[in-house]
Amino acid sequence: MKGRRITVLLCENSAWKAWIDAAGQGPDAAKRLEGLDPVKLPCTGKVEEGMVLKLLENGSAGVLVLGCPKDNCTYVRGNYRAEKRIASVRAALREAGLDDGLVRLDFLSSLDSRKLLDIAAEFRASVLEGVRQ
Amino acid sequence: MITAVRKPFAEIAGMLEGSRKVLILGCGTCVTVCMAGGEKEVGILASTLRLANEKEGRRMDIVEATIERQCDREFFDTVRDKVAEADVVLSLACGVGVQFFGEVFPEKPVLPGLDTKFYGAAIAQGVWAERCSGCGTCVIADFGGVCPVTRCSKSLLNGPCGGSQKGKCEVDPVNIDCGWQLIYDRLKALGQLAKLEAVRPIKDWSSGSHGGPGKIVKEDAVL
Amino acid sequence: MSTLTMDGLKSGSRLERVLAEGHFAVTAELGPPKSADTAPIGVKAAHLSGNVDAVNITDNQTAIVRMSSIAAGLLALKEGIEPIIQITCRDRNRIAIQSDVLGAYALGIRNILCLTGDHQKFGNHPTSKNVFDMDSIQLIGMLACMRDQKRFACGEEIRNSKKAPVVEPRILIGGAENPFGDPLEFRAIRLAKKVEAGVDFIQTQCIYDMERFAEFMRQVRARGLHEKVKILAGLTPLKSVGMAKYMRDSVAGLSVPDSYIERMDKAADKPAEGIRICVEQIEALREIEGVAGVHIMAIEWEEKVAEIVKAAGLLPRPEPAAGPEVRT
Repeated sequence: MKGRRITVLLCENSAWKAWIDAAGQGPDAAKRLEGLDPVKLPCTGKVEEGMVLKLLENGSAGVLVLGCPKDNCTYVRGNYRAEKRIASVRAALREAGLDDGLVRLDFLSSLDSRKLLDIAAEFRASVLEGVRQ
Repeated sequence: MITAVRKPFAEIAGMLEGSRKVLILGCGTCVTVCMAGGEKEVGILASTLRLANEKEGRRMDIVEATIERQCDREFFDTVRDKVAEADVVLSLACGVGVQFFGEVFPEKPVLPGLDTKFYGAAIAQGVWAERCSGCGTCVIADFGGVCPVTRCSKSLLNGPCGGSQKGKCEVDPVNIDCGWQLIYDRLKALGQLAKLEAVRPIKDWSSGSHGGPGKIVKEDAVL
Repeated sequence: MSTLTMDGLKSGSRLERVLAEGHFAVTAELGPPKSADTAPIGVKAAHLSGNVDAVNITDNQTAIVRMSSIAAGLLALKEGIEPIIQITCRDRNRIAIQSDVLGAYALGIRNILCLTGDHQKFGNHPTSKNVFDMDSIQLIGMLACMRDQKRFACGEEIRNSKKAPVVEPRILIGGAENPFGDPLEFRAIRLAKKVEAGVDFIQTQCIYDMERFAEFMRQVRARGLHEKVKILAGLTPLKSVGMAKYMRDSVAGLSVPDSYIERMDKAADKPAEGIRICVEQIEALREIEGVAGVHIMAIEWEEKVAEIVKAAGLLPRPEPAAGPEVRT
């Protein structure tokens, strides 16, 4: 468990910008982003069930998906689709007797690096250290 | 298309218990369209199984493959080697494909990964509904193109029954439209309501599955 | 066409004779027991005997298993009741139904009501296969063919061998109609189809909205159907306000006038008020041209039927001219 890394799928229109912002905020912020591998996506609507499961299968300790707030998606409904697909992945994990907390979807604007850091830290604690809130 | 839904994970895992080398074989036609057993679904199932196996400490090699369809012999040729290497094949084809696999590879255990449901159409993205029962003698010309055998829960040919309410069937007023309301509305729109005035005689059910498993021979196509 | 008995009747049943003589007919309903116990039939029959002309014996109503209609009908016959046995299309195919009809007639049954049948999902065996080899209109046609053409549905004559006599079941054929079901404008047409198929009498689903029923009867008369089939209007006496509201809100196609609900609400003795309303309905129905009688469905309240019939001035029941002896 420990020592494994978390994949973060970031929408380039919002969360990715917030990530860049956060990563440039100095050593404390950098520490909170440790162990997380960012991946840029055109939209959270690009995420598919199989993609998330493959990441877990290939060794990701968890998959965090971050994108634009609802009703603010550049592609209009991409984040709504993401919401349904992530719900479906989590249900598949539960059905297989696995931990659905390994996958999480959240929404934030490009200016909200603060929220990104909080979520990232929370998710890492949850996935790598079993700390659930 | 033939529609199906994937069996619950627990049922599949139960069927595969004790197997060491599993080939999950998808089908690229009907079940891809209704998103139950195509290449994507094979991938999802395979990943989920591997994750579950890892957690439980079960050793199982899972190979994934999808062929065009499993109801024509030729398409199996592309996966003969994978089939040979597997202990068991979990077919994500409809019931036809699963059985046909067994006829083409009689010595290889094959399991069904889907529950086959009905002949249907996509009435909206992600929603499929039944339209045909394969009764063997199509009469929808007399009913404005709406099938009374399939769309009426009681297959009435002189419907509706007393349970038709506000265009819905009493068997499931949320999900099932009254087939006879549909027939009535359609014939009315076509100006053909008179078609409903004659008493329609009892159906010959023997042309469908009530006559036993069917078979079609097209002589000019037989080699 | 149809063979009539010496006195011009098709079955000679008491119900047929009452209707043929132009009396306002009264029928009621009896649900067989959900076991092999014969006692409940005797109890219900005792309430109905002498107070009605014939009694429907339901066939696994609501798809809940009960003693078979034919068996219960024969037991009712022994208790002095003329049964109208019911056959639905849900549980039996044409082979079983024709077989049952031969047997029922041989044992003295003379009236059969043909129904589609409630879907099995409503009953206590929702996972069973259903049959629906035919619908109620085809069933009526099949029985009319047995009686009038003396042939089975396959076309064969109804005789035990080429040398044996033709012995066809001479039964009175009934059907049901829901005047308020959807599509509304189609209901009279559907009734016309049943008449064409050969139905002799119709019982409607229970009525509360007399105006809507009167409109239905206008459509029926416009097609001359009232002269070809005897129509018995269905009634169910209200027992409580809750029941009135339930009928209004939960039963398909049924509308209950606010005035009835108000009366039930205000009444001190609600069951008595319900009976009173029912009697008024009977009186109103007698004024509608084409209504040949009433079918009183007092489910689990059979003891009130006598009271209703008496208050409506319909007792004693007429004794029609003697018909063919019914063997028991």
